[in-house]
Amino acid sequence: MKITKVNKTFGNHQVLKNISLDFPAGKTTVLVGPSGSGKSTILRSLDLLERPESGNFDLDELHIDFSQKIKDADILTVRKKTGMVFQSYNLFPHFTVLQNVTEGPVQVLGKKKADAEAEAKQLLAKVGLADKADFYPETLSGGQAQRVAIARSLAMHPEYILLDEPTSALDPELEMEVLKVLLELAKEKQSLVIVTHNLAFARRVADKIVFVENGEILYDGDAGKFFAQDNDNQRIQDFLNSMSLASLD
Amino acid sequence: MSCFARKELSKILHSIFTDYLPQIFAAGFKYTITLAIISFILGLIIALVTALVRISDKGGGFLIIKAIFRFYVWLFRSTPLLVQLFIVYFGLPYLKIPGLLPNGIKLAPFTAGIITFSLNTGAYASETIRAAIQSVPREQWEAAASIGMNRGKTLRRIILPQALKVSIPPLSNSFIGLVKDTSLAASITIVEMFEVSQQIAAENYQPLIMYSLVALVYALFCSVLSWLQGWLEKASSRHSKESEAEA
Repeated sequence: MKITKVNKTFGNHQVLKNISLDFPAGKTTVLVGPSGSGKSTILRSLDLLERPESGNFDLDELHIDFSQKIKDADILTVRKKTGMVFQSYNLFPHFTVLQNVTEGPVQVLGKKKADAEAEAKQLLAKVGLADKADFYPETLSGGQAQRVAIARSLAMHPEYILLDEPTSALDPELEMEVLKVLLELAKEKQSLVIVTHNLAFARRVADKIVFVENGEILYDGDAGKFFAQDNDNQRIQDFLNSMSLASLD
Repeated sequence: MSCFARKELSKILHSIFTDYLPQIFAAGFKYTITLAIISFILGLIIALVTALVRISDKGGGFLIIKAIFRFYVWLFRSTPLLVQLFIVYFGLPYLKIPGLLPNGIKLAPFTAGIITFSLNTGAYASETIRAAIQSVPREQWEAAASIGMNRGKTLRRIILPQALKVSIPPLSNSFIGLVKDTSLAASITIVEMFEVSQQIAAENYQPLIMYSLVALVYALFCSVLSWLQGWLEKASSRHSKESEAEA
């Protein structure tokens, strides 16, 4: 999956400035940067929840030119191949946990209900919530809700899972539950694109780091080098220091 | 109390239970309740269609359809229901268009009532449903979109169930209002229960008793509806009940 020369403006504020990025399959790409830098907008563009004014999007054989009207069939293809996990979970409150997970497979992929339920139960077990299948989202903690959201996304068998600050709304303890699930997915070579402020986690999980600031990409490459102390990009060093990474070591 | 007065009172009480109330209830079931239920169901359908048209983001020629629906809501919310009933029942027969409608539109009283009450309820309820749909967070649309659901399916499966739950109290208000408004149907010759009580009062010269009786029956019908509303609200909030049990 890749985007090339993408531009996006909100009003007269240009949030993405001619951005090109590729997201290698089977790897974990982590987008970091200050708030309002445009990293969430990049992520949401990958699921077509935001529509850039110009630029290109490529996913397998599918090619989308953002300056043209996007065909409904292409939107559906992208949405099937990518799954979004939101900061605020956005579970469906009128469905049980199990129904949240089976809704996509049954309604969009046309799976049989029994098959979808069997798989949903496996996925819930995988995220450690087998016993919550019949609960309603309102009864879950934030960490549980976010793990259901991850299971809901996994049920669609997306090539890429996109996570928009998945743990920003969580206490550190609950955050760990979610991060463990994500580390597990990364180990299984599930392609992930994660926007996060948690640099310790980014360092642990990322194959590739993208540093975004003011709608521009200041770093795009190997995660190890990004966090290396001898990184000669002063701006990145300042950012890392400001996030007081030292105190986490 | 004189013997005469006591006799008179017991005669009236006897008539209330064996004559007046049975007549009022009969008219109530035959007209008041049927008018209210049929009109409310049709009104809800009209309201849902109107709300969906009005929140649609389609442009082009669809804007004309949107304008028509907006005009309809404005018209029925801006004119008295009684006047609307008169126009449909007494007025439309004079809508004579040579070649197309040489004889105007003559409607049976009951039909005219259903049409007017449905359109009136639809106009008000459409605003309720529109607001309820818009009260569902935008993120619910996004979550549905991200698992590949199209707009129609998202509405049907995700948005409307949440919106309808929110609109139970205001829609119940509309329904209760409609039950009472059907008394206006008396003015277009429908012999519903208010008309029946008027007719009896004209014979027995007991307007206070007759109108109080019919008021009581309206209150009874509306109380049943209030109870039904409570039951619906409880049934629709299944997903919050378990949290209460856990707490």
